Amino acid sequence: MADLIAEAPTAPPRISGTGSIQVRNLSHVYVGRDGESPALADIDFTVEPGRFVVLVGPSGCGKTSLLMMLAGLREHSGGTILCDARPVTGPDPNRIGVVFQEANLFPWLTALDNVAFPLTLRRVRAAERRRRAQDMLRLVRLEDFASRYPHELSGGMRQRVSIARGLVQDPPVLLMDEPFAALDEQTRMAMGDELLRIWSETRKTVVFVTHSLTEAVYLADEVMVMSARPGRIIDRIQVGLPRPRRYETMSDPRFTALRDRIWRHIRAERA
Amino acid sequence: MTNRAAILLIRLALLATVLLVWEMLPRLGFVEDDLLPPFSEVTSVLFKLLGRPQFQVDMATTALEIVTAFAVAVPLGALFGLLIAESPYAARVFDPLLFFLFSIPKSIFLPMFILTLGIGFWQKVGFGCFSTTLLVLLSTQAAVRSVRPDHLLVARSYGATPLQVIARVYLPSMLPIVLEALRLALIFTFTAVTLAEMYASRTGIGHQIETWGENFMMPQLLAGVLLMSITAIVLNEGIRWLEHRCGAWRT
Repeated sequence: MADLIAEAPTAPPRISGTGSIQVRNLSHVYVGRDGESPALADIDFTVEPGRFVVLVGPSGCGKTSLLMMLAGLREHSGGTILCDARPVTGPDPNRIGVVFQEANLFPWLTALDNVAFPLTLRRVRAAERRRRAQDMLRLVRLEDFASRYPHELSGGMRQRVSIARGLVQDPPVLLMDEPFAALDEQTRMAMGDELLRIWSETRKTVVFVTHSLTEAVYLADEVMVMSARPGRIIDRIQVGLPRPRRYETMSDPRFTALRDRIWRHIRAERA
Repeated sequence: MTNRAAILLIRLALLATVLLVWEMLPRLGFVEDDLLPPFSEVTSVLFKLLGRPQFQVDMATTALEIVTAFAVAVPLGALFGLLIAESPYAARVFDPLLFFLFSIPKSIFLPMFILTLGIGFWQKVGFGCFSTTLLVLLSTQAAVRSVRPDHLLVARSYGATPLQVIARVYLPSMLPIVLEALRLALIFTFTAVTLAEMYASRTGIGHQIETWGENFMMPQLLAGVLLMSITAIVLNEGIRWLEHRCGAWRT
């Protein structure tokens, strides 16, 4: 482990616990109709337990693909992905929870049953399932909406249910694929604060993909900037801004400087 | 008064008006009795028919044909629908043929059923089955395609086994469309069987209706039509009620 830390000199001291992610030499070649095209190349990074890492990059750079590979939901052509020193070879809900762009709740289940869905698959007893799902709904402050169906909830509430579902098995890692992209700006900002509160209470390792540079800097301990296709990590930016972050944080000159730095990378990649 | 109660009331009023007009037209002499007997006469003929043993045999025959055809067609159509929906190759091969079969009037195939199965129970069942299987097949395909890939991804990300994916994602996603298809399938079987009976048969309600029609026995003919309409409505509403109960989450 020591040499892994040495590779990322800007990383802060390790937090003890589980939920580390190590990606070594990851690459992916997409084989389509017109032959092969490299999608991801030389992806190499470590995420320490409990860190909040945000992936940004120009459209089509493969950040969502990378996240799906971390989740074990997509194949990669080369390199390895380790979660707590064990390789990720397929979906493993005990180690990794996933929150998707659209909340993707099952419309035929209530909020409570949606949260309990992963436990249902594990054949956890009904009473236990109910208790844990209720705990999670309390965590995302939706305990009063347990018996509602998804179509009776707002977009933000649906995404909170989805987060609760991602956390119900208490995995040390939570992967989030543009979870707030479909929400309006006000809801989005409120959800950012909500997520940071949940994160500070649960101390999960979070890898979060977004298009929004403001959201990236606001949420992250570290922002990883990806290049255009084939996606590489071209910059890793430590966001040293104090927590808890507030609305005022966004007008901090350091905040704007960090956002500008990301934007310069992305502008160069888009050109 | 709620909106739904108002609609129900208007519907009932409309029905009453139609029946009243039906009753009054022949009674007031606007229409010949022989052409359109009054509603009350038709109803009394219907009740007399219902009490007649021969007519009860006819009803039982038709009912048995419908149930048999339905019971064969639904699993058959569902099975082939699933197979075709799960294989893009099969879908591309069979879809044009299926749509062709679906879009032409099925009754032109009736002579073939008579030639192969004779005039009897299996000819009606065969034709009803043929007509319904197609519908179930196409609906099943639609139902499978209505399963959202996002939902499958979610299930996979939480480690669902293939069986769990079928039970917890495919089936609930497909349920509303499947129930809708069952409702239509029952109505399809009903009309196909009676059509086959009217075309060539010695028994059954359809056969009776055809005979009365040919002999211009209007009270009996209209009584038969009334009976068939009521049966169709009851079947339809029965499955609708089931749909409503199972698909509460659908808005």
